[in-house]
Amino acid sequence: MYSSVCAGALNGMSCFVAEVEVDVTKGLPGFDMVGKLSGEVKEARERVMVALKNCGIELPPVKITVNISPADIGKSGTAFDLPIAIGIMVSLGQITGEACKDILIIGELGLMGDIKSVSGVLPIVIKAKESGFRRCMVPIDNAKEAAYVEGIEIIAVATLVEAIELMCNEEILKEHIFRPDRDCTTQAVSVKKPDYADIIGQEACIRAATVAAAGFHHMLIMGPPGAGKTMIARRLPSIMQPLDTAESLEVSTIYSISGMLSEDRPYITERPFMSPHHTTTVNSLAGGGVYPRPGIMSLSHKGILFLDEFPEFGRECIEVLREPLEEKKIQISRARKTYTYPADFMLVAAANPCPCGHYPDRNLCNCSDSMITRYRSRISGPVKDRIDIIVTASRVDADRIVDEAKLKRGERMSTMSSAVLAVKVKTALKMQERRFVGTGLRYNSEIPSGAMEEYCALGDKEKEYMKKVYDSMELTARSYHKILKVARTIADLDESGDIELKHLAEAISYRGNL
Amino acid sequence: MNRIISELIKREINILDKEEPEYPLRLKEIGSPPKRIYCIGGLPDDDRPSVAIIGARNCSGYGRQMAREFAMEIAGAGIQVISGMATGIDGIAQNGALAAGGKSFAVLGGGVDICYPKENSRLYEALLDNGGVISEHEPGTEPIARFFASRNRIISALSDAVLVIEARRRSGTLITVGFALDQGKDVYALPGRVNDSLSCGCNELIKDGAYPLINPYDFVREFMDRYELGRINKGKGQKAVTGKSPAGQIKTDAGQKSGKDRNGSRADAKGGSKSHENLFLTAAERAVMSVLDYEPKTVSEIFYDLSDKTDMSIPELLGLLTDMTLKHHIDCVDGMNYCIRS
Repeated sequence: MYSSVCAGALNGMSCFVAEVEVDVTKGLPGFDMVGKLSGEVKEARERVMVALKNCGIELPPVKITVNISPADIGKSGTAFDLPIAIGIMVSLGQITGEACKDILIIGELGLMGDIKSVSGVLPIVIKAKESGFRRCMVPIDNAKEAAYVEGIEIIAVATLVEAIELMCNEEILKEHIFRPDRDCTTQAVSVKKPDYADIIGQEACIRAATVAAAGFHHMLIMGPPGAGKTMIARRLPSIMQPLDTAESLEVSTIYSISGMLSEDRPYITERPFMSPHHTTTVNSLAGGGVYPRPGIMSLSHKGILFLDEFPEFGRECIEVLREPLEEKKIQISRARKTYTYPADFMLVAAANPCPCGHYPDRNLCNCSDSMITRYRSRISGPVKDRIDIIVTASRVDADRIVDEAKLKRGERMSTMSSAVLAVKVKTALKMQERRFVGTGLRYNSEIPSGAMEEYCALGDKEKEYMKKVYDSMELTARSYHKILKVARTIADLDESGDIELKHLAEAISYRGNL
Repeated sequence: MNRIISELIKREINILDKEEPEYPLRLKEIGSPPKRIYCIGGLPDDDRPSVAIIGARNCSGYGRQMAREFAMEIAGAGIQVISGMATGIDGIAQNGALAAGGKSFAVLGGGVDICYPKENSRLYEALLDNGGVISEHEPGTEPIARFFASRNRIISALSDAVLVIEARRRSGTLITVGFALDQGKDVYALPGRVNDSLSCGCNELIKDGAYPLINPYDFVREFMDRYELGRINKGKGQKAVTGKSPAGQIKTDAGQKSGKDRNGSRADAKGGSKSHENLFLTAAERAVMSVLDYEPKTVSEIFYDLSDKTDMSIPELLGLLTDMTLKHHIDCVDGMNYCIRS
């Protein structure tokens, strides 16, 4: 007898609804699976057979054929185990075909019939809702993640027996619809988050970080080892606005595909902060693999990609940043298909000024000029061009560390704490929201060079000043625009509609001289 | 050999044997003069004073400024500046000498037709017009490390005095000083802070009896006095000074130039001119100047040092530093480090 059950599958960033067709006929006993399946999908055969047996369901000696359509799209992952098992039960007449209408089923089977979590549940459930399904059956561990999508009934199952029982009885099924408020116990975990008030000194860097966060500007922190570059970067999420609903869904989708959502963290609301080690490979940064998966750049989407010891990263790793910095997405091309993953991140890089790390303090640094030039040239020009803000962190004096560690924390809390800075950033974001209404732009860093006149108009006095600066500092058109964009953000932090001289002067100090 | 000769003709390289009259007198006088020297451009004038300005390759901002200042004053007084055209102090001093309109000569560790280091190719070209490059090695010889020590003896030999701007405790610069002392030349050293590693070598030289360099103008005056005295003594012993005395001419030259400088804007009254500028600074700018140094400081350090003087905020300070850089009161080094501009 023939049956058809719907399942969902991932294809890059997008999902599709797959139809699992099962046919059971008399004949030589066997189990065949077709439909352009990858290794792990084909292995479902053993898992399903054994799981059914261990649930006490004896299969008659029949020939089973499974086809997963559309048959021309490659399928991977383990989410087909459960729909295949259900499909066999329908074909054997244990479940009515009627029960399988309007429900999309995903889940991996263990040999004992337990149902295990799978990746990509969030986008699949979204797709199911879009395709008009009423219900979605998911592994219990993925229930919270699935429940993030509103307007679709979620059936969470823990074992195959439970799943079969629910499919047989509409009444029990209805009672079993997952309700997050009833079914999960939310315990608020209060973890002490890193705060800018923890940092002693580095006032200039913290200010620059505030500007960067307010305008989503890419930033480079230069400084000797141990100055606190990493501390400054790690605290950036604490002053940025949390993700809004649309962003959260987008980011959670990426994490879901990567299998990085868990029961403890069913969806992402905080801005991501990724800091790969400098020995990372191009593929782990950009994404890839035979069946491509999002890389670290995509996992930092809408958040921060922190590259510590920037010049130590492989040349290719630095070069691969180019496209996402420009396009805010990354394309991975394979012979058959091109996958596009979003990668709209804020790049925060940290670097030592020279191989030993102490330049320009010549008491400690004996690196020759050519060594320094060579070290810095590892950061390629096109990437440097995208970095709007360059700051220098200083070595903190011993007495400052000893004296101020506790004494002045209170003082720092009032002026330099994350809470205070977050309020400033929020104001600047509001200013930008009003300015860019209806344009599709969101941050000052995104202003295209063609619209500079419109958004970064200068008064006569300011124009005169910038002319002087342009000549005496030998700026290029690009660095001139960078200064204007940063100045725009600084003015926003100041709640000033016009860019004033002081805003320009501060912006110029972030230009660096790389 | 033919190849070398054709190279010589092509590049206008002069070749001088020890016996030829044009061979520099000063070089003949040392213990182990090179048998033959090659040069492009000119050779240092035997009848004019010359000093060597040498120092560390990886120099500090202080060394950079002082090398230039001393070289400009010295070259401006008509004294020839000899050095090794290396990165750092050597090159900066020679550039300074040329900028002041003086003559400068580089002694290279390889062939004269090879510009080493490459970064100094502009200086190399400029030296061909206003001075020259000299070497004891055949054209086409690649510079290698062991040549540098022996070329240092030529640097000191061609000079009447050796000025050390910056040197670490065990530095190649001190090899030149050793040669200079063997050859009986005066050694001057620029004092620095005792805890600056780049000034250690200099401070120790001073401790061992080198003349301290306090002020470019004073140095020129003192050096010229000593130079004249030396010539007169020498003249008595050896041949009589013939006809016009170039040395005398130089002295008046030096006197005039320095005099002009004193009335003018630069040099001598460096402290004075700074306070003169300070009159036009705002209170905030004065406060910033008071915490700045010749060594670069980061903005956060400046902010901290200022914290008990003013209650300026970081954005204000950043803007102020940019403005002061534009007005040339201070220098911006490497992005966000600032130091006093001389």
